[in-house]
Amino acid sequence: MSYGLVKRLSLYLCTALVVASCAKQNKQAFYNTGIIYCSESNPVTFNPQLDTSSTTSDASSHQLYDRLLDFDPETGRIVPSLASSWLVTNDGLTYAFQLRKDVWFHSTDYFTPTRNFNADDVLFSIDRWRLTSHPYHYISGGRYPYFESIGLAQNIESVERVNGYRVEITLKRRDSSFLANLATDFAVILSEEYASQLSQAGSPSKIDELPVGTGPFKFESYRKDHFIKYRRHEDYWRLSLSSEDSENASEQTNSEISKEPEIASPPASSSFQSNGGEYSAVEQLIFDITPRSSLRLAKLMTGECDATAFPAQTELEVIRAKEDLILAEKPGLNIGFWAFNTQRPPFNNPDVRRALAAAIDKNTLLEAVYFDSAIRAKTLLPAASWAFQNDADDTAYNPVLARKLLADAGIEPGFSMTIWAMPVERAYNPNATKMAELIQRYLRDVGVEATIVSYDWATFRRHLREGLHDSVLIGWSADNGDPDNFYRPLLSCGAIPSGTNRAMWCNPDYDKLINDALKTDDIEARKAIYRQVNRLLYERLPLVPIAHAYRYQAYRSELEGLTINPFGGVRFGGVEKTL
Amino acid sequence: MPQFSLYDEEFHPSPWQRTWASFRASHISMLGLIMLALFVVFALFAPVITPYDALEQNIDGLLIPPSWMANGSISYLFGTDALGRDLFTRIIYGCRVTLGSAFITVVLAMLMGVSLGAFAGMLRGVRSSVANHLLDALMAIPTLLIAIIIVAILGTGLVNSMWAITLALIPQFVHHTRSFVRAEMKKEYIIASKLDGASKWQLFVHSILPNMTEMLVVQGTLALSIAVIDISALGFLNLGAQSPLPELGVILADGLDVTYLAPWNVAVPGMAIFFMVLSINIVGDGLRSALRKRVSH
Amino acid sequence: MTQILVRYCTLFILTLLVLAIISFSLAYLFPGDVLENLTGLVPQNEIQRAALEKQFKLDQSYVHQFFYYVSNLLTGDWGYSFTSGLPLRDEVGIAMPATIELATYAMLMALFIGIPMGYYAGIRCYSTSDYLINSASITIYSFPVFWFALLLILVFSLQMDVAPLSGRISLLYNIEPVSGFILLDILFADIENKSLALKDALSHLALPTFAIGAIATASMARITRRSVIDVRHRPYIAAAISRGLSSWQIFFRHILRNALLPILPLMAIQITTLITNAMIVETLFSWPGIGNWLIQAIYQRDYPALRIGMMAVSTLVITLTILVDLFNRVIDPSREKYERAAV
Repeated sequence: MSYGLVKRLSLYLCTALVVASCAKQNKQAFYNTGIIYCSESNPVTFNPQLDTSSTTSDASSHQLYDRLLDFDPETGRIVPSLASSWLVTNDGLTYAFQLRKDVWFHSTDYFTPTRNFNADDVLFSIDRWRLTSHPYHYISGGRYPYFESIGLAQNIESVERVNGYRVEITLKRRDSSFLANLATDFAVILSEEYASQLSQAGSPSKIDELPVGTGPFKFESYRKDHFIKYRRHEDYWRLSLSSEDSENASEQTNSEISKEPEIASPPASSSFQSNGGEYSAVEQLIFDITPRSSLRLAKLMTGECDATAFPAQTELEVIRAKEDLILAEKPGLNIGFWAFNTQRPPFNNPDVRRALAAAIDKNTLLEAVYFDSAIRAKTLLPAASWAFQNDADDTAYNPVLARKLLADAGIEPGFSMTIWAMPVERAYNPNATKMAELIQRYLRDVGVEATIVSYDWATFRRHLREGLHDSVLIGWSADNGDPDNFYRPLLSCGAIPSGTNRAMWCNPDYDKLINDALKTDDIEARKAIYRQVNRLLYERLPLVPIAHAYRYQAYRSELEGLTINPFGGVRFGGVEKTL
Repeated sequence: MPQFSLYDEEFHPSPWQRTWASFRASHISMLGLIMLALFVVFALFAPVITPYDALEQNIDGLLIPPSWMANGSISYLFGTDALGRDLFTRIIYGCRVTLGSAFITVVLAMLMGVSLGAFAGMLRGVRSSVANHLLDALMAIPTLLIAIIIVAILGTGLVNSMWAITLALIPQFVHHTRSFVRAEMKKEYIIASKLDGASKWQLFVHSILPNMTEMLVVQGTLALSIAVIDISALGFLNLGAQSPLPELGVILADGLDVTYLAPWNVAVPGMAIFFMVLSINIVGDGLRSALRKRVSH
Repeated sequence: MTQILVRYCTLFILTLLVLAIISFSLAYLFPGDVLENLTGLVPQNEIQRAALEKQFKLDQSYVHQFFYYVSNLLTGDWGYSFTSGLPLRDEVGIAMPATIELATYAMLMALFIGIPMGYYAGIRCYSTSDYLINSASITIYSFPVFWFALLLILVFSLQMDVAPLSGRISLLYNIEPVSGFILLDILFADIENKSLALKDALSHLALPTFAIGAIATASMARITRRSVIDVRHRPYIAAAISRGLSSWQIFFRHILRNALLPILPLMAIQITTLITNAMIVETLFSWPGIGNWLIQAIYQRDYPALRIGMMAVSTLVITLTILVDLFNRVIDPSREKYERAAV
């Protein structure tokens, strides 16, 4: 008699299955029109000038905008983008950029461009973060953390319009990393026309909420914690750009550019696009916001996502084992570290910092947190950087020394401190809470009681900027290949207010050294200076470098043309999907 | 030689003995009871049973598979988690934390609920009507919502989630007590006591309360299973107990991060919660049908 | 009849008033600034703050503040979310129907599978099939819903790959939320791939509905079975048997209706459980409902959102409970008050 029940149950199950499997069939054509990317968090804004978090630049920088210059994802060299060519004077102070013609901004339901991209847009975009007197400077908070942290605004003498398609930038001092900085995710070009329309309408802050750019995708809608939707930008300039043009452009660059250091040298490859001459983009791009990495992988496996951000280190083997998934990896330009708040006693005492550094075993952290997909960090710079110093000093695990140093510094056993663990996964630290728990245990061995503190990401960073922490587990991903991009934002005095100097450490000797390093183009001379810097950092130890992690990107084999961008955000322009 | 007792038929088993006899007759109920007893033993003697410390990390033994798998080790029965902590130990301690806190929660809710309910049951008139209606309406607010509000005010933590669940459980005890008290108040033995001059307090303590224990036990098991599920759900959602405290829901949530690499980190704590709730439900069910049988005979 | 209605209306309004008081006092109980908690607006400077305080009558007595608060609630001005900056009414307006939709389908599943199963088990009580149903239901009923959902994801999404595991519909579809119910919205939407979208939405619905529905079905079956057994022991059944009625006649004439009556009030408790389970399951399946929204809000300490979310969910649950209660009173006036028996 129970078979009646069984029959009913199985009937229900069958219908559910049939419904489900029907949905699987004959949907390919439609599902090929869009790419879904599982991102890890909400962007803070849609203007990457305003935020250094990679979530923000992933969601905006390469999707919505273009920069004057770009990095070639393969070689790391600087290649033309909106500026088709550039010229540097021999004193290295004046840069002239020739702009591309026939570049159109997005036309959306909130803005229709009447003119194409020209020098006014470049002036607007740079002056916005450069000049405090600019009408848009204080819109959306008035903080431009990346540019503040490298002090670029102070170094620019003027930005001038020569004619509609030519811009000249004059620096006060030589800066060998200047071009690289213009190619970072943060140096995007906004629309001046949109801005003036908005200020007439009296709602200037919309410029960062409803973005308009020249990028391959235009903004459609955003629902916090759920999704961001983009549509193809039909008039995107790379779509109409034949491969010939780009070759010409590069050649032009070749001839015009003069003595530039290796990292900023012109492209050797003829075409910018790694997938050949034809440039194409899918109709829809969607960011599916999924904070849990296990869920992101699950969605990747079921095909609900085509690509995912930050696969967890524990999941790499699973991805490698799946035939229809691809795991791309590259040594990353990043550093995960443990920074002490050097403005708070007793962490203002270098001996205390050294003691705490000696109390932890970095190799264990590498094993347990990164599952060996990272390299032990001795200095701030990873091996991928040209200024990497192989024989730099490193702290060693020595609890006896740690106890002694603590006792000498007058720290009683039972001293309590906080370890702030960032709540999001990053390549440089895939699980800060777990690392904090491990460190907590090591510290207990030397008589220090640590409590772990965590907030949601936005609050966390706000409190960090206010300096409420004793120590924090966080890190940095480079935005360009120049070593200055590590040293300056992370530890210079100027980076304290912008909130990238998590150690709140200010040392005049250090600032002088890293400034000196920028005054020369001679690689060997710069390397020598950075050696001194490393030595200084080892002695003062404002932060303990922990690891340089590999960067991973997981995607389904249907996607073509997706590459890891070693300098910052993911880019979907030019990516195709074929089932 | 069989002993012959003339007075055999004079033996009257007490109500509890009769309930026990009919409870024992059901094999499933007994199985549930044994399972529950096992969990209680785990909870009470966790430090004796477990081979390791619940927080002790073993860096050399991360994610060791459980002992029945090919490369598992017998020294870690259920394997280890992502920090190298012995999962068996954590589960046993987890039973202690989850079951223990659920039990405390239920006892608290019962104490408060019964006193409020008795009070409401003896009230008369408009006041009682208003109080009752409001109570019924507020009873409908989901535990999760109360927990969220309490977390927002007081912050996360096991104790705070226990308060939330206590608050959510109180109304049902109030309700049952009140209906029970109201029904009893109309019965003749109460009227007899009243005529003897018993005060309301005496009535409640000496006449009604003894009759209520069975109802309370049944309601208590029901509330216990709800409390276990809720405490682990809040732990799972990161609104209750916080890692590294070994609470079953928290262990499960921690395990989710390594699902693909170490599925046992999700399977084992889930099974533990499931069997704990199942055993409580089976015992509660068995108890109820045993009581029902006794009453109907 | 009128008297009952008036009574229930008063009860309803009184409860809502209590909820409004609680939600108002939450603005004071939550950490942080009262003005910000109450409005969700963060004043940029002191002048703006003073103006807002005046507008929200924070300079006056609590009673004034409360009445202003209630009038704002009634006119639909619910304040703004800290994190998204959007009006809370819009956010709740999108999230709430998603939860109601999920809960409705699960409830339907419980009604159409659970109740017949309960009848079947009750009629054949203490037979093998009864034991089977009973043990199956107690087993399913003991599953912690979050773990059950995880198991479903594991089996049906990851192993068999027959159903997707997140959201209401593939994000590639652009469905305008008109009614908020995805299936209706697709039917009325002006899109090309309507049938494809419908299939996609159904496959998205399958797992979360099943996760909540299975547990609701199990408890429904248990309630029904108990009720049927109780009815079968009534004297009028014995009388009917002695009159020589066939078991079918007894079932249709006497048991069916009489067993249904005590089930109804118990559904009221089911609603609370159902909504709680729906809220938990939503977070696992990334279902954009009110539970997911509230849990995100607590993670981000979005106090205005919590204040309104608490108000919205409890109003929903209480309205449903009172409606079921009222319905029960109307069809069964003999009952003085409904009783909440054990499941």
